[in-house]
Amino acid sequence: MPELVRIVERGSVPPGGVLLAGLPDVGLVGVIATTHIISSLGMEEVAYIDSNLLPPIAVLHDGLPHSPLRIFHKDGILAVLSETAIPASAVQPISQSIVDWCKGKEVKMVVSLGGLPTPNRQNIEEVKVFGAASNDEALKALREGSVEILERGFMVGPYALILRYCAEKGINAIALLAQSFFEYPDPEAAAAVVSKVTEMLNLEVDVTELLKKGEEIRLRARDVMRRTQQELARMSKSQEYDLPLYV
Amino acid sequence: MYWERRRRRSIFEIIDEYLEELERASREFMGALLSGRPSWDTSERCLEPLTNMHITPDEVVVTVDLPMVKPETIKVRALSDNVLEVSAEMKRTVYFREFGVTHHSGEFCGFKSKTRIPVPVDMRNLTTKFVRGILEIHIPRKAKAGVRIPVE
Repeated sequence: MPELVRIVERGSVPPGGVLLAGLPDVGLVGVIATTHIISSLGMEEVAYIDSNLLPPIAVLHDGLPHSPLRIFHKDGILAVLSETAIPASAVQPISQSIVDWCKGKEVKMVVSLGGLPTPNRQNIEEVKVFGAASNDEALKALREGSVEILERGFMVGPYALILRYCAEKGINAIALLAQSFFEYPDPEAAAAVVSKVTEMLNLEVDVTELLKKGEEIRLRARDVMRRTQQELARMSKSQEYDLPLYV
Repeated sequence: MYWERRRRRSIFEIIDEYLEELERASREFMGALLSGRPSWDTSERCLEPLTNMHITPDEVVVTVDLPMVKPETIKVRALSDNVLEVSAEMKRTVYFREFGVTHHSGEFCGFKSKTRIPVPVDMRNLTTKFVRGILEIHIPRKAKAGVRIPVE
């Protein structure tokens, strides 16, 4: 069977790091948060993800082509970031490949940064961050970080699969999900997950600038959000609102 | 020699397949509508905002994401019985180069969108509120004369 997804390393990737995942999802929370962390820490590209399941896209930076899905690194912190919406049909093989790659790199923790769609988000002044984990050790890390656990419910999308595959492979993984808008870019929610993850990992990243530029980020993120909305509809993301069967 | 007996498909499977096909076609149609044109218009110097619509039994709720706008300039107009226009001026002019784009030239000083409402509504009684940069428009649905059915 031909390889559906390949991760091509362009630089050396030291084993035993922590991987942050910033993939397009509700409110583009993970993408905004991860982009901010990458630029604040001055992380550099070490690998990219290629797949014939992705649209034929090159993202131009300073006139040079890049894959829209890249992995960055600095001082043991890795970050996977997608600059375009991931087609619903590619979510499973890409999530699987990221987790397999993490296993090979002996990644000690995968941290997915994202949003938790909240219908009355407009009326929430202080955004709360919730968490889910791949195993008991990761759950403990969430509790130690004072993150409220999502005890029951549905997760839909790449983070749902990353958690499941990490559980399968014995990798510690958590998802930090801030209350967010479903269909609109949410820099405030992104700032909340950045604050939480940097506190848990002892990193120094200031979110003042992120909050200050919030409106401009919302303006620039419109087109990626528009395409992400289409893919979220294809993967029935609204199922996250469903109440689970509880007998 | 291997014999493969071809299973006859039930009518339910055929209907399911048909519905899936229909759903796929409609998604593609929506996708084409959404992605076939840019979200900006240099001749009108405006950007198209992100818009969403939810239909409840009593009302249609349209939300419009309007970052960087002057709230006092927001205009909501009913162009007809079922088309709603929203426009607003931005606090400052935005240029293509701010997006890192150098192969287009132009500037934008506002947002404009038109939304078609798919069910009969009463445009005269719509209400609006603008919170956290998002405009929320509530339009009551036109009531039909109902028939009360006794519950046994």
